Amino acid sequence: MTLILDAAPPIANRRPNPGPGAKIVKIVTTTDHKTIGLMYLVTAFVFFLFSGGLAEIMRAELARPALQFVSQEQYNQLFTMHGTIMMFLVAPPLAFGFANFIMPLQIGAPDMSFPRLNAFGYWLYLFGGLTVVAGFLTPDGAAAFGWFAYAPLNDVIHSPNLGSDLWIVGLITAGLGTILGAVNFITTILTLRAPGMTMFRMPIFTWNMLVTSILVLMAFPVLTAALFALEADRHLGAHVFDVQNGGAILWQHLFWFFGHPEVYIIALPFFGVVSEVIPVFSRKPMFGYKGLVFATIAIGALSMTVWAHHMFATGAVLLPFFSFMSFLIAVPTGVKFFNWIGTMWRGQLTFETPMLFCVGFLFTFLLGGITGVLLASPPIDFHVTDTYFVVAHFHYVVFGTAIFGAFAGAYFWFPKMTGRMLNDRLGKVHFWSLFVGFHLTFGVQHWLGGEGMPRRVADYYASDGFTTLNTISSIGAFALGLSTLPFIYNVIVSYRRGEKAVGDDPWGFGNSLEWATSCPPPRHNFVTMPRIRSERPAFDLHYPAAAGRIDMHATPELR
Amino acid sequence: MRTTSSSTLRLALVAGAAALLTSACDGRQLYENTFSLGWPKPVTTQAEVIYEIWLGSMAAGTVVGLSVLALIFWAVVRYRKSGEELPRQVRYNLPIEVLYTVVPFVIIAVLFFYTAVGENKVNKLTKNPDVTIGIVGFQWNWQFNYLADKVQVTGQPSQPAQLVIPSGKRIRFVQTSPDVIHSWWVPSFLFKRDVVPGRLNTFEITVKKEGTYVGRCAELCGEKHDRMNFSVRVVSQTDYDTYIAGLKADPNAAANALSAALTSGSN
Repeated sequence: MTLILDAAPPIANRRPNPGPGAKIVKIVTTTDHKTIGLMYLVTAFVFFLFSGGLAEIMRAELARPALQFVSQEQYNQLFTMHGTIMMFLVAPPLAFGFANFIMPLQIGAPDMSFPRLNAFGYWLYLFGGLTVVAGFLTPDGAAAFGWFAYAPLNDVIHSPNLGSDLWIVGLITAGLGTILGAVNFITTILTLRAPGMTMFRMPIFTWNMLVTSILVLMAFPVLTAALFALEADRHLGAHVFDVQNGGAILWQHLFWFFGHPEVYIIALPFFGVVSEVIPVFSRKPMFGYKGLVFATIAIGALSMTVWAHHMFATGAVLLPFFSFMSFLIAVPTGVKFFNWIGTMWRGQLTFETPMLFCVGFLFTFLLGGITGVLLASPPIDFHVTDTYFVVAHFHYVVFGTAIFGAFAGAYFWFPKMTGRMLNDRLGKVHFWSLFVGFHLTFGVQHWLGGEGMPRRVADYYASDGFTTLNTISSIGAFALGLSTLPFIYNVIVSYRRGEKAVGDDPWGFGNSLEWATSCPPPRHNFVTMPRIRSERPAFDLHYPAAAGRIDMHATPELR
Repeated sequence: MRTTSSSTLRLALVAGAAALLTSACDGRQLYENTFSLGWPKPVTTQAEVIYEIWLGSMAAGTVVGLSVLALIFWAVVRYRKSGEELPRQVRYNLPIEVLYTVVPFVIIAVLFFYTAVGENKVNKLTKNPDVTIGIVGFQWNWQFNYLADKVQVTGQPSQPAQLVIPSGKRIRFVQTSPDVIHSWWVPSFLFKRDVVPGRLNTFEITVKKEGTYVGRCAELCGEKHDRMNFSVRVVSQTDYDTYIAGLKADPNAAANALSAALTSGSN
């Protein structure tokens, strides 16, 4: 036996120097969840840079009154595509990228349940995304009706351009990829867990991907149906969203029935990411693990019942119900904050870049969460909905979770993905420039909205008194844009020459199973499987003496 | 030299204390300045309700936010790594977990109570409003219809529409749109309502303070969305009657006279 195995050449030696053609074939044909995960991450990051570029043009335009760089029509295309790309082609694919790479490792699976479906989902995402963006190449430009495309502005009379159609079919395609990905995640989590990996021993990130995927299955098909109906209205003579039939409000209901869960589809995976990072750099287990799981499930359930808080100003919804449900979602979200703080409490905290981004996440998302609670009140919405206050609010929420979380995850799992560490010093430069740039950009927008600046305007008058704050916001936006450069440089240099990751667990206090296999893991992830007897098998493996000290109940210290 | 600097210091201290004292005396002022976050002072009865909900919610939000920030800050500063020993591996503490679930619930219950009471006041419709005005939002301007008097004012691209209403009266607005969704927003009223095609939206407002207020479209409505401004001029009942009479006699002249009055700065 041994002789035969030794006789077979190692896989790496079969083709000593694969050329670029072979690499492309490998990428195009791969069904390896780790490769697909990296493809998701890289593609999403490229879309992120593109969409961030659109935002920089908008901030340049808004820095001073009057139109300088773009026309009103072009400006409308800019914010439409910025929102669409960020909400569909950046945030969920970032989560899917991390989930593809990390989740099977965390549950001790060799791959996803449906590897080919997984690859298919990625390609749907890529080509759907390219279809959406291709609107910029058409004569009349890209879609310009805002990322929630309200009827009847989205009909063929008010938006006759081809870019609108590309937007619709592109989102249908990319959305199908998302749905198939969710099916795959759910199946994998339910069926491919290693022996001993019970549901209540799953890492929080895996739990959050499970809830996220269930939300995807409930929300995305509604959007897909609405988009198909819209396209039928536009070109097949259907009348689903005719205003005479109440189509204007019908579209809003269908869109936000998808659109609000979408916010949590974006946020939950990154709640999961920080829930993985914080315990490792606190050298403690997650505090209140089960409470955190139930809070995630509660957020998922409640997020399906609050969609009409986007419609408070329409005069067409039952205000008290949607207001109360929206307030209620603050409770499980608050629980999560105390879980994270409780994990840090009396720990041994170190602040490597991933942890720094988690603290940045806590600070930013806290502010976004509090303005979110204020916005649950319809009378407050009567003034600030559709203003820069809301723009500030959702950037604090979405950027705070998805982008801070994604960078935390990138620094945290880079050694697991590549076998090399990202440079920590550059990481800290990245964090602080991004942190300051972000809060400068969006902090002042709370005041702009309260003072009366509506969102989605290409221009304002000098007499409006919005100039100073807009200029500050634009300066912050440019700083925020520049902050990405050290990250890109860091990734390129560290990928080739970065410090090698030491051992299976370069951070030293990893909990979940991905830290019990090599960096990067072998093709089917594990050579040996450690015993899984708690929610932190890698920690138990590396600190067998401490494993016995885990106490289930309150300790004298905290009493 | 020494005496000068110490007396300057004493002077500054006294001045600072005095400033603090005056601001403390005017607690209401301090409260508004701290929590209004750039909101204009309310000029309608309805906006006063909204303003109080906003200030109260902001105050509660600030207290909660600062408390949680303090916890985060304390954890980050106090529990920095200080040795190689593993900390106690605490996983659960039921009393604390119950506490941090129940307390947020109580907070949002209080906020919801004030919201529910407030929104009923803001959205209340009366049987006999003093004036009823029809608002039509279209791409890209506004039309205001004085329904009882059967006259109307329509905005032109170079000349935003002006709505004239009497102060102290309960005004009912009925809105619709012939094309796409717009949103009728007067920041000083702290109020907007979407103008939805295929739908009539109704609300009532009582303006207490005379003056001219800027209005904007708050819902993306196509290319020239940012140009859909209008103004609301709130005048006494007498002036309102004169204006309506003028409008009936000659719509163009009334509009011109009004804009002339505006540019001269009279109210």
